[in-house]
Amino acid sequence: MADPVLAEMVHATGATESRHYAAVKPTIQAYRASWVKLAPYRDGPVNSQRVTVNDPAAMTAQIKAKAAELGANMVGVCRLQPHMIDLGSEVSHEFVIACCVAEDYEKVLQGPDAVEEEAMRTYAKCTEIATELAGYVRDMGYPAMAHHNGASEVQAIPIFYQVGFGELGRHGSLINETYGASFRPGFVTTDLPLIEDQPREFGVQDFCMNCNVCQRNCPGDAIPQDHVITHGIKRWLIDLEKCYPYSRLRDEYCHLCVDACPYIVKSYPETYKAFMKGRKQVGYKTPKTY
Amino acid sequence: MEKLYVNEILPDGEVSTVGLFYSRAEAEKIVAMLRDIPERSACRYEIVHAVRHLLAEKGAPGAQTAPKE
Repeated sequence: MADPVLAEMVHATGATESRHYAAVKPTIQAYRASWVKLAPYRDGPVNSQRVTVNDPAAMTAQIKAKAAELGANMVGVCRLQPHMIDLGSEVSHEFVIACCVAEDYEKVLQGPDAVEEEAMRTYAKCTEIATELAGYVRDMGYPAMAHHNGASEVQAIPIFYQVGFGELGRHGSLINETYGASFRPGFVTTDLPLIEDQPREFGVQDFCMNCNVCQRNCPGDAIPQDHVITHGIKRWLIDLEKCYPYSRLRDEYCHLCVDACPYIVKSYPETYKAFMKGRKQVGYKTPKTY
Repeated sequence: MEKLYVNEILPDGEVSTVGLFYSRAEAEKIVAMLRDIPERSACRYEIVHAVRHLLAEKGAPGAQTAPKE
């Protein structure tokens, strides 16, 4: 287990593996196998006939159109900065292309298994998109590497923030005004000349200061009231010791903090209302099927 | 579990929290890795006990600070 906190907690129960990961349905296993299968193809030979890029803005538009064609709901570009790279890893590329695939929020009404399956489906789709897009860039004569659930050296949240997908919310995930926090990432790092997008702020951090819906719905009380500051950005640091008993040490998937986030209400008003009615009936902090 | 923040102190004195860590060994490992990054060579680092009101604990009275690095 790569996560030392999870490893300690799992070993304390006398087990050798996270109960959640051990109790995997065949569909989930198939999705996980798909990104493992694609991991060897995240890098590859670069075409020796390099396409000349005279207009980086036009190239950026071409890349975004290609990613959308492959199935991405949002695509953004930024310069790859040191804080976006996993500590101890090296990625020498100049740019990162961020793609995301939105989850179908309707699944929240079908229970945790459906939510988990949808999460894995979107991760698998992001893996396909990143792999295909990296190959597309290499075919133009520029190095490119895909980063996804199968293998990655980059950090999703700082990149998503920098490309303007959204702002960091109290529950620790990035919030977009259309998709809430219900989307998953895939990335391509490259030296292809591109034009950067810019961070966008639309009031999420101020909203989260006064909204405690995710906190109220967290069965483990893992979401704090107060925040810390990292390079000027508010961060509510989730207490993993309290989160993992619900999200990793049980069979059932826990995604309640994101599912209850009100930023999804504009896109799914009726579903959100029905979901939150159900949450109220079980007293908010109770897991879906505890 | 022990809960520790790693803080990065920028040359202008601004304090930026790197993250929440669950053992001193893990926190020290992160600090060592950060110190190896040339762009961060002017920064200082401290490891402090997690301030209870920043954790999800109700009625927590306040902070305890560990000796600085």
